[in-house]
Amino acid sequence: MKSSPSWGRIALFAVIGVFILVPLAQTIITSFVSTLPRAGIAEGHFSLVNYQNILHSTALKDSIVNSIIYVVLNVALCLGVGLPAAYAFARYSFAGDRQLFFLLLVFRITPTVVLSLPIFVLFAQIGLANTPVGIALVHCVFNIPISIWILEGFISAVPREFDETAFLDGHSLPSFFFRHLVPAIAPGIGVAAFFCFIFSWVEVVLARILTTTGGKPITMAINGLFGFRTDFGLVMAMTVLAVVPGIAMIYFVRNHLAKGFVIRT
Amino acid sequence: MSIEAFFRDRRIPLQSFDMKPYDLRAWFLVLPALVIVTFVGILPLIAVTNYSFQDLFSLNNPYWVGVDWYRNIVTSERFYASLGRSFLFSAIVLSIQVPLGIGIALLLQRSSQVIVSTVLVLITVPLVVPWNMIPVIWLNFINPNAGLAGKMLAWLGIGFDYKFNALHTWIVLVVMDTWHWLGLVVVLAYAGISSIPAAYYQAAAIDAASQWQVFRFIQLPKMKTVLSMAVLLRFMDSFMIYIEAFRINAGGPDSATAFLSLDLGEEILSFNYGPSAARSIVYFLIVLTVAWTFKAAMSAGATATAPTEEPIT
Repeated sequence: MKSSPSWGRIALFAVIGVFILVPLAQTIITSFVSTLPRAGIAEGHFSLVNYQNILHSTALKDSIVNSIIYVVLNVALCLGVGLPAAYAFARYSFAGDRQLFFLLLVFRITPTVVLSLPIFVLFAQIGLANTPVGIALVHCVFNIPISIWILEGFISAVPREFDETAFLDGHSLPSFFFRHLVPAIAPGIGVAAFFCFIFSWVEVVLARILTTTGGKPITMAINGLFGFRTDFGLVMAMTVLAVVPGIAMIYFVRNHLAKGFVIRT
Repeated sequence: MSIEAFFRDRRIPLQSFDMKPYDLRAWFLVLPALVIVTFVGILPLIAVTNYSFQDLFSLNNPYWVGVDWYRNIVTSERFYASLGRSFLFSAIVLSIQVPLGIGIALLLQRSSQVIVSTVLVLITVPLVVPWNMIPVIWLNFINPNAGLAGKMLAWLGIGFDYKFNALHTWIVLVVMDTWHWLGLVVVLAYAGISSIPAAYYQAAAIDAASQWQVFRFIQLPKMKTVLSMAVLLRFMDSFMIYIEAFRINAGGPDSATAFLSLDLGEEILSFNYGPSAARSIVYFLIVLTVAWTFKAAMSAGATATAPTEEPIT
């Protein structure tokens, strides 16, 4: 069904590209402009001052580190517990499997604001508030279902003979997992990691309620920049930095992005 | 040719056609995931159910009030007004994003790999923008003094006022939400289309099927699972839109964009534990109903379309 490119189609894609890019372009432009009066820099002119200010601010640099810690932890957790669970769903039927799948579906679509109050109380009591670890754990509530769905789709696409051959060769389940299954579904793991990454990276309701005094991620550090005289250039520079890792992730999985998201109920 | 070989040759996963072995030991494999979900999902839900029946001036002095908070919610006009606005917002968002997403995916399917990759990368970029930054980007964009869109509208002589004109606030929210989420619908729709084996199209070409027939009888049924997932995710996220809507106009003007989540967020921020717990439970019950309806519709659809699932070659 691949046909020669038609100009109408290209034009339409260009319109979509403009719609997506122009608001972002303005953000990027603003991030390179000094938006507050400063000695030596004309207001409204090109400058790297916003990015320099990020480098000089401990709070902003810490927030970047916090964000990376919690998101890496969250992706590792979701893949670590998601992979065996996805294997179980793909290969076996067991009492309660449909109910469990439904439970995961429900938690994936439960708005975070609904869970935020008790999570705040619970995590404050056990000392998980104000740490990146707390955010990493909490984001599992919507990311574990995502990782299980995506990985299950990829594992189901591998014929079962593949497992049986490995077991006949004397592999144990863990050894089969790491030596055969993981390499076989590597693109799927990439796609699952990508979706876990973005959903965790962009979430702000739980991240906010869990980091009232410390452990603030990038998103909350940006919130903290708003005030009586907001330095919009600095806000936009932080926003640009907050989007860069996501774009890098998109680029890495671009050829597999559309393959893994087939969900069964 | 055996049926297994038939499906394998066409790269159709066998899994959906043969029975999986029954083995309770599989529970050991799902246990770690279940433990975490219990800790961050089920336990908080139990706690919030408990709070919802009490007056909690502080968490140490609970006072049992029964269903008072629930009665307050279901008898308040404000709740139904917010519910109506949330439904309207979801309906508008779905009726724009789903057809648009399918359309783009259909066009992509006929494009070369380079174009597919470029468009998919571009269109998913807004998905990685933190949610609290999306309204900031858009407010900057539509600012009449500094924003590109704002200046453009002023130049065209359109008196655009998202602060005090309810219709304009709605337009900003719908356009912003489309910008944010269109990529997800396109990715899912494209995933559905690209899973269709070439043999289906060849058979359609032999039958001289029109483009519409190909869409209606091959592409749409094959996209159904991923599309319903897209509809479910988009419905829930738009129905419970919170940060984005709050930052644009805080529910205004005159409560014209006060959606369900904004009411809940307001109560949580003022630390009304009891009422906000009851509201959380009411919203969770809505989520449960939606999820159950979705599941029921999916299994009904699976049975109904079972005959057409057979290869048409």
